[in-house]
Amino acid sequence: MERIDDQPTVLLIDDSPEILRLLEVRLRNEDFALVTAQAAVDGLRIARERRPALILLDLDMPVMDGFEALRHLKEDPRTVSIPVIVISGSDDTDDKVAGFDLGAIDYVCKPFNMPELRARVRSALKIHELMRMLEQRAQIDGLTGLWNRAYFDERLVEEIAHHQRHGRPFSLVLADLDHFKSLNDTHGHPAGDAVLQGFARLLESSVRAQDVACRYGGEEFVILLRDTKAEQARALVERVRAGLEALRWPRHPERRVTGSFGICDAPAGDAGSPAAWLQSADDALYQAKRAGRNRVVIFDPAATNDAADTQPAPVRKAG
Amino acid sequence: MPQPDAPSDPIRSEFADDPDMAELIEMFLDEMPARVDALGECLREERLTELQTIAHQLKGAGAGYGFEPVSISAASLEGSLKAHSDLERIRADVDDLISICRRLSR
Repeated sequence: MERIDDQPTVLLIDDSPEILRLLEVRLRNEDFALVTAQAAVDGLRIARERRPALILLDLDMPVMDGFEALRHLKEDPRTVSIPVIVISGSDDTDDKVAGFDLGAIDYVCKPFNMPELRARVRSALKIHELMRMLEQRAQIDGLTGLWNRAYFDERLVEEIAHHQRHGRPFSLVLADLDHFKSLNDTHGHPAGDAVLQGFARLLESSVRAQDVACRYGGEEFVILLRDTKAEQARALVERVRAGLEALRWPRHPERRVTGSFGICDAPAGDAGSPAAWLQSADDALYQAKRAGRNRVVIFDPAATNDAADTQPAPVRKAG
Repeated sequence: MPQPDAPSDPIRSEFADDPDMAELIEMFLDEMPARVDALGECLREERLTELQTIAHQLKGAGAGYGFEPVSISAASLEGSLKAHSDLERIRADVDDLISICRRLSR
């Protein structure tokens, strides 16, 4: 993860020490940190390690030239999304086309027109920043600001792999707001949205930095509590449940909102399968609903088998 | 020793009036005598790979510091070396580049 308080880093790869020095001085008042490499291999290593926001890449270099370096950058998943501006002494159209075809976003000829180079660098950095924001926004639920389902699904796969490799516990919590449809029908969708947002804020302030809280869809939420066994998870989730019940809602002060919660730290079936984890947490949530809602239930394989015999209906219909 | 056929007008940097560049041009010029020596030495000892590296760097840097004739001449030398031209041709290119480098002035 990039630290947001940091200046962006721009990496300059050029075999000429004079060019490195020239640009170091000419770009020193810009709003980024410049790092330099005099050989393409060094540049590639720095790109992998520091993930700069932008690379300025010379084409004509001995040993490994800029085209080959560009190919390496675009083949490596760690560097593929870093924008590259080619800086070249060649004004040749074929070179420019080859550079763009290999994935460069811009092509600047030497000798540099400095105001132009500075403007192009600023523009590339701005685009990079916008792309990063877009990428992040694609992982965030628009209404609540929590992580969205796509992001959660990825994190769950990672967490299960981590759990299996290192034996670290984690708990998966499914939460569902009780009688949400009736609340929407009675008080209108804006009231329903306010409840979703209020619950999201409560969740956010309750989980720890290492946890992942997500809106899974509709009035259903899912929380991943890292390094936490089910009994510890129960304490945290119980605080959330009580916190929700205590909230007052300006649009319907007379009506409290409650939620039901299912916790799983060891699923039935294949512990390597995200679907098994979600199903087991869902089973626990169903138990909570059936036992009268507004409660927290830890998944118990024995209890679920009985329930499954009599009541196979999916929990999402329980409200 | 003055060469009778060498033009002797000093070549000034295009960026001579840019205060930002003054210090850089200064450094570039300070290193020039060593560069010129290295060019002559590489040619005498026929270390052509090293010669090509110096030519390549001067080609890239010259115009960047406002000395376009350096880039043009160095590009010609680099081209001759890349094409494995005969030593006479290379010698002529080196002489041309050296004479230009000696005319550089702040």
